[in-house]
Amino acid sequence: MNFSLLLQSLISGLLMGGIYALLGVGFSLTWGVLRVINIAHASFGILAAYGAYWALTLLHVDPVLSLLPIVGLLFFMGMGIHKAIIQPITRAREIMVASMVLTFGLAIILENTMLVIWSPDPRVLTPSYAGRAILLGDIGIPMTHLVGFGLSLVGILLISLFLHKTHIGKAVQATWQEPEGAALVGIDLHRVSRIAFGLAISAAGAGGIAMAMMYAFDPAMHNLWLIFVFLVVIVGGVGSVFGTALAGLLIGIITGLCMAWVPYHWINAITFGILMIVLLIRPHGIFRTGV
Amino acid sequence: MRSIWPGRITGGWIVSVIILCSLGILPLLSPKVYFLSLLYMVFLYVVLAESWNLIGGFAGYLSFGHVAFFGIGAYTTAFLMSTFHLPVASVLPISLLGGLVSAAVALVVGYPCLRLRGPYFAVITLCFAFVVQILVENLPFFGGVEGLWLTPTKETVAFQRALYYELMMGLMVVVLLVVRGIEHSRLGAGLIAIREDEDVAQCLGIPAPRIKLLAFVLSAFFPGVAGGFHACYLTYISPVIVFDVMISILIVLMTLLGGGGSWAGALLGAVSLSFVNEFLTTFVRAEIARILYGMLFIGVILFLPNGLWEFIRNASFKRAHAER
Amino acid sequence: MKVGRRPRTTFWALVLSTFLLGSLSPIMAAEKPILLGGSLPLTGVWAETAKVIEKGYRFWVQEKNAQGGLLGRPVKLIIYDDQGKPDNAVKLAEKAITVDKVDLLLGGYPGTAARAVMPLAEKHRMVYVSMGGHMKSFQQGYTYCFGSPPLMGEWWFLAAFQWLESIPADQRPQRAAVYIMNNPVGTSLTQSINEWTKKLGIKIVIHERYNLPLPAAEPLVLKAKQKRCDLFISGGVFPDGVMTVRAAKALKYNPKVYMQGVGSIIPAWVQQLGKDGDYIVSGTSYHYKLRNRSNLELRKKVKEKLGWDVIPTYFGFAYAWLQTLAAGVEGAGSLDQTKIRDWLRSHSVETLAGTFTFDEKGLPPPFTYATQIIDGQVELIWPPEVQTHAPIYPKPPWGE
Repeated sequence: MNFSLLLQSLISGLLMGGIYALLGVGFSLTWGVLRVINIAHASFGILAAYGAYWALTLLHVDPVLSLLPIVGLLFFMGMGIHKAIIQPITRAREIMVASMVLTFGLAIILENTMLVIWSPDPRVLTPSYAGRAILLGDIGIPMTHLVGFGLSLVGILLISLFLHKTHIGKAVQATWQEPEGAALVGIDLHRVSRIAFGLAISAAGAGGIAMAMMYAFDPAMHNLWLIFVFLVVIVGGVGSVFGTALAGLLIGIITGLCMAWVPYHWINAITFGILMIVLLIRPHGIFRTGV
Repeated sequence: MRSIWPGRITGGWIVSVIILCSLGILPLLSPKVYFLSLLYMVFLYVVLAESWNLIGGFAGYLSFGHVAFFGIGAYTTAFLMSTFHLPVASVLPISLLGGLVSAAVALVVGYPCLRLRGPYFAVITLCFAFVVQILVENLPFFGGVEGLWLTPTKETVAFQRALYYELMMGLMVVVLLVVRGIEHSRLGAGLIAIREDEDVAQCLGIPAPRIKLLAFVLSAFFPGVAGGFHACYLTYISPVIVFDVMISILIVLMTLLGGGGSWAGALLGAVSLSFVNEFLTTFVRAEIARILYGMLFIGVILFLPNGLWEFIRNASFKRAHAER
Repeated sequence: MKVGRRPRTTFWALVLSTFLLGSLSPIMAAEKPILLGGSLPLTGVWAETAKVIEKGYRFWVQEKNAQGGLLGRPVKLIIYDDQGKPDNAVKLAEKAITVDKVDLLLGGYPGTAARAVMPLAEKHRMVYVSMGGHMKSFQQGYTYCFGSPPLMGEWWFLAAFQWLESIPADQRPQRAAVYIMNNPVGTSLTQSINEWTKKLGIKIVIHERYNLPLPAAEPLVLKAKQKRCDLFISGGVFPDGVMTVRAAKALKYNPKVYMQGVGSIIPAWVQQLGKDGDYIVSGTSYHYKLRNRSNLELRKKVKEKLGWDVIPTYFGFAYAWLQTLAAGVEGAGSLDQTKIRDWLRSHSVETLAGTFTFDEKGLPPPFTYATQIIDGQVELIWPPEVQTHAPIYPKPPWGE
């Protein structure tokens, strides 16, 4: 067996999966805490990628640095959106259903607003280290991918620290597990939801910038990203940050192995097929509980 | 409730029959072909949304891969029609065959997959649709990614459009009657019980696995037939056309916007969204049209969180009380 | 009874009113202007190219009207947004034909939509000049469809291979890695790649089809590098093309020739990749540096009116399609579609992309121009009579 090709495929797959994981964590969070399926999740990622693109081309600020203000802005934007349109639909009989329709509308609006602002031309992030790579024998790992992967590790770690170590984070967790109980002990459900939503949107933003380090993007790309996010989150088990992360890596490994061994035009069929089998064996995702 | 809608039928039936008859004779008035095509597409989406409604709206099993059944029907029909150069007269039986193939696939796939609940079912159906699409793309005898061309026929455009218009309308009427019938049957009640709480439903003696599967198979049959008509209507199909994941998503949204779990909801959702979309495409600049379209979803759900139909029904209910 | 009927009436009233609103399309009262109508995917995944095509159409109309119009009548465009869905494109083409009663049908994009609209144009007997949907779509026996110029995967690398043929056999690349997309755009390349590599004695070592989105490009580049492939053919669109180029740079993989499919003919390629996009070879059936009379005129006009130095490829395509259609109309001296068709089939047409005569499929004889990106400019390198820059061979190693 060609060892370096296998290793290269695995590394590339893992880097890809890690980035999908960061994009997925926020999606999992809104779903778990708010029972809101946010179809517009990946659109916020694209929005952040455009923000980073502007910062890079107009102000020459590296995406890793511009990420902080962008994520901060997205946090408040998320809170605002929650207050304006998500909170009102909590009176729907089925929040999940209502939220899907609502955020689908939001995704279309975001996509086409971006289309007007940035035109449909595809973009790529080209920071100063683009094109450089770490070479280990035959194998090469592009710096941009590595930075994107690093971002996603840090991001996932920060989110889980937040949920476990801070007061608000614990309130979010409590709401997740036992909404009525949380309300009884005096947790302001709306405030907690708002923060969780803001956090999820910022995570989407960070994930979007990490994605843009690896892939080209345009306003309509969010549909494609969302499908993978959906897979990662469900396979990991809704409501599990580490589950999402591991599912991302798992999908990365499967794809990587396929790239090494299988004719390329069968890769997706095998990836999706394996996911179907995984779901049939573990009907509630791989990691069912825990935040 | 029952006495108001759709209880004592007579008035409603008369209106429906008049509307259907006038729609039915429309092709005889030789309208512009576009109107037949437009209505054909509306009928198509009503069929797809109503079929999805059976499993997604009634039973609460959100299938995100329903386009697979549409595509399987389309491919079965296109494959048979183009391979054996069948005449137009065979469209109906071949499409029904396409529907049966879809239903058979649904039976095989539904049996294991319906054990999954909620989002897990949604994702497994999504994966299923992708796998089917890739299979069709990679198996050479289905024309691969290039797609299939149907043998051109000699009939005039007007005749062809009228034919598929009538066929699709007929299918729509059948689907509406079936879904309406199920809504008021024990099957419908059972499915709704499953949506509300499957475990409780099973405790109450509802054979959940069996009726879920039945609903799933039925909800795959009609899209399969519709796919057959659509293949003949387009005369060219390819995997990216008939397995487009956006069709899956659109029919889910149509049903949910109108209000899942009732035949009128899905009908209302499919009809209104199709017309609004066409209206925007015709009159408004492209991006602005899309933004308005997006706002429509937000607006409707903000004010009518349970869908259009429930709002109309409740309004009528309230008025009925006021008049009483 | 009375209680129940009212909501039902409201309901049906709603249905009927939406129906009526939808059908009240803008009926152009004036019979003076010549109407040109069709649809383009102005929103959605294909929007990028569609916007360029739209600009080309609008520019042509503006020019034509400034010159006194077509057959002495002004030309008016009707362009609908089909969102990239072929069934929408079919429906909207039918709307243009039967409701707006357009005099001429516009060519659409992308190939999947064109493939679905071509049988419709044939049924409605409307001349349809477009990019088509590669060779197969022109082999269906249509008589009203023309590719002028077509966007033909089967011809894409023709000129590039002819250029390779001119290189002495012992200096040519020996081993090829072929990675194409698993879609009609990609697979249409297969046949010509197979034929030409055989003819030139190049061995195909790797031949893969990948689905979009491409998850990662490093493995496929590494494979090509390990197998010592010195001809790299990547038949992708922009996102995967960019990934592959970047992976090749990261892995310091330097084939003698790097060929890329449609991805590299859009302006974004040069803009976004900068120096890394250099030396990549592709093909096209229109290029702004072509020196025919018609193209030189357009370059001057575009510079004057829009201030552009470069005409985007699809802008030129759109312009050439309308030039062909107009030539047919003026040649036939009427708007009778069959007369236009017959005229086009029996005469040669001068367009930006070259002077064409059409065969029974509606296609000009096979041709393409090979391009190479040199110093951030897309240059024509083959055939020699159109050359704007000498081809650079072998490809220099990636810069820092």
